[in-house]
Amino acid sequence: MNESSVPPGELCAPLPLRTGRCWSLFGVWYRHVRVYRKTLLANATPPVLESLYFFAAVAIGLGSYLLKTGFDGLPYVTYVASGVLAGSAMMCAVFETTYGTFVRLVYQRSYDAMLGTHLRISEMFVGEMLFCATKGAVFSTIVLLITTLCGARPTIWCLLVPLIGFVTGYLWAAVGLVVTSYVKTINNFSFFTTGIITPVFYFSGTFFPVRGHYAWLDVVAMLVPLTPSIELSRALFKASFTPVTGIALVLLLGYTALFHWLALRRMTARVLR
Amino acid sequence: MLARGLAKHFRDVRAVDGVDFAVAPNECVGFLGPNGAGKTTLMRLIYSALRKTAGELSVFGLTPMQQRKQINAGVGVVFQENNLDEDLNAAECLLIHALYCGLSFRTARRRAAELLEWMALSPKARSTIRTLSGGMVRRLMIARALLHSPRLLILDEPTTGLDPQVRHTIWAALRELKRQGMTILLTTHYMEEAQQLSDRVLIMDRGRIILSGPPNELIGQHLERYVLQASGLTEVPAATDGIRHERAGDADCFYSNAEPLLQALYDRLPTRSAVLRHANLEDVFLKFTGRGLHE
Repeated sequence: MNESSVPPGELCAPLPLRTGRCWSLFGVWYRHVRVYRKTLLANATPPVLESLYFFAAVAIGLGSYLLKTGFDGLPYVTYVASGVLAGSAMMCAVFETTYGTFVRLVYQRSYDAMLGTHLRISEMFVGEMLFCATKGAVFSTIVLLITTLCGARPTIWCLLVPLIGFVTGYLWAAVGLVVTSYVKTINNFSFFTTGIITPVFYFSGTFFPVRGHYAWLDVVAMLVPLTPSIELSRALFKASFTPVTGIALVLLLGYTALFHWLALRRMTARVLR
Repeated sequence: MLARGLAKHFRDVRAVDGVDFAVAPNECVGFLGPNGAGKTTLMRLIYSALRKTAGELSVFGLTPMQQRKQINAGVGVVFQENNLDEDLNAAECLLIHALYCGLSFRTARRRAAELLEWMALSPKARSTIRTLSGGMVRRLMIARALLHSPRLLILDEPTTGLDPQVRHTIWAALRELKRQGMTILLTTHYMEEAQQLSDRVLIMDRGRIILSGPPNELIGQHLERYVLQASGLTEVPAATDGIRHERAGDADCFYSNAEPLLQALYDRLPTRSAVLRHANLEDVFLKFTGRGLHE
């Protein structure tokens, strides 16, 4: 113990503290950015590659044989690109707040440590969801750039893609937190990922139009929380906005608000035991 | 800090079952008790990590949970189990926690460096948490709790499982903090730790405070001054005036205020595995919480 390094009295001298919401959220967000940056290549490569495999196999591979016309007035490559970029925002966010959050909650007990600070419980989790939203924005932008290089044709409206990725990331981070709040052992997540996330990824209009077959299916499809994101992303690629686009926007924001509220409520109960 | 009839029940378990106590500024209070006595639960109530079931609690004159932010801005917590962020190295752990505590980047870096130095951890600044020894982890946890210069430091079993060197180092650090004006709450089941550091101890058992006072007063009030402790006696010597005898299992304790009486007894004992010593807090503790297992 080297006590000379700190002058007597200095250890306990009062320090100015920033206890405002913005700085608290920034602290939590920055923690995740810092950790993520360390393992950037290992963390970011699989989800980006995964989306691109789908894109290559389905849009470029299968699509070039079977689908000369595309859907929704878009060439098929562009159609799939617009869907996959929203899907990748969902994937990266939902994995962070399921497996990642569970490890911090149960194994690393990080939230216990945070409870010892002035951070509000809401700030702990909103900061985390904002990080996922940031990831969603970055991932969807990366997918946009690469698919464009591979032949998708964006419009100027596609500059708004990061925004859709951001909100989609936030929404699915919240969904992940709600699920995590119920989970007892980490293996339970496989029910959620294969039972919910995978079908959502495939059947929200990512690769083919779900709507237009049956009326009831239209309603169901629109209610799946990823569909509004894909609908909006597609509107950007088409540069055409219809009443359905408006409904999608309202649904996306509505779902985000709902799951934000649920996630905080559930996680508060879980953390305070 | 003031608690009145404070209680926390988990379903049918009364973890904290109506406790009353007060803590003055710059006091060091030790909470002693067997495992499951409710010490950790009580600490969690103080830093708003649990909702109370009943009673009153105020910290710095504020109400936990309702005024969590204001209270915790002045509280540092050293947890029982290691919950350092394993995705970060030692210096980063402190930096990030300092941001959580509301320090600016510049102050956070300075404090982190100072406290690493103070805890003799500077050479380990870039090490990941997994590579640190138990003693280093605990010192880092203490450094982390001090980043924002809290007025109140809560330590939940700070030296459990550590070697004597680390324990004494940590005790020296805590005494220094107390000299600098910090209020300290400490839970432990090491009587020596409580006796070394605390102005006052509260002995808890089954969620209640069963005894409180300065360590030496407690010993003086409730026990004779000396104890002769022996085990494996096949034949217990006849009782003498001025000596009180207790037996638990194969262990015998003889208590007296007159050391020569016990010394004489010691000389007559057929076994050499006997110790004659001053009565200590552990004797008081065992007297009041019993010798049986509590779990």
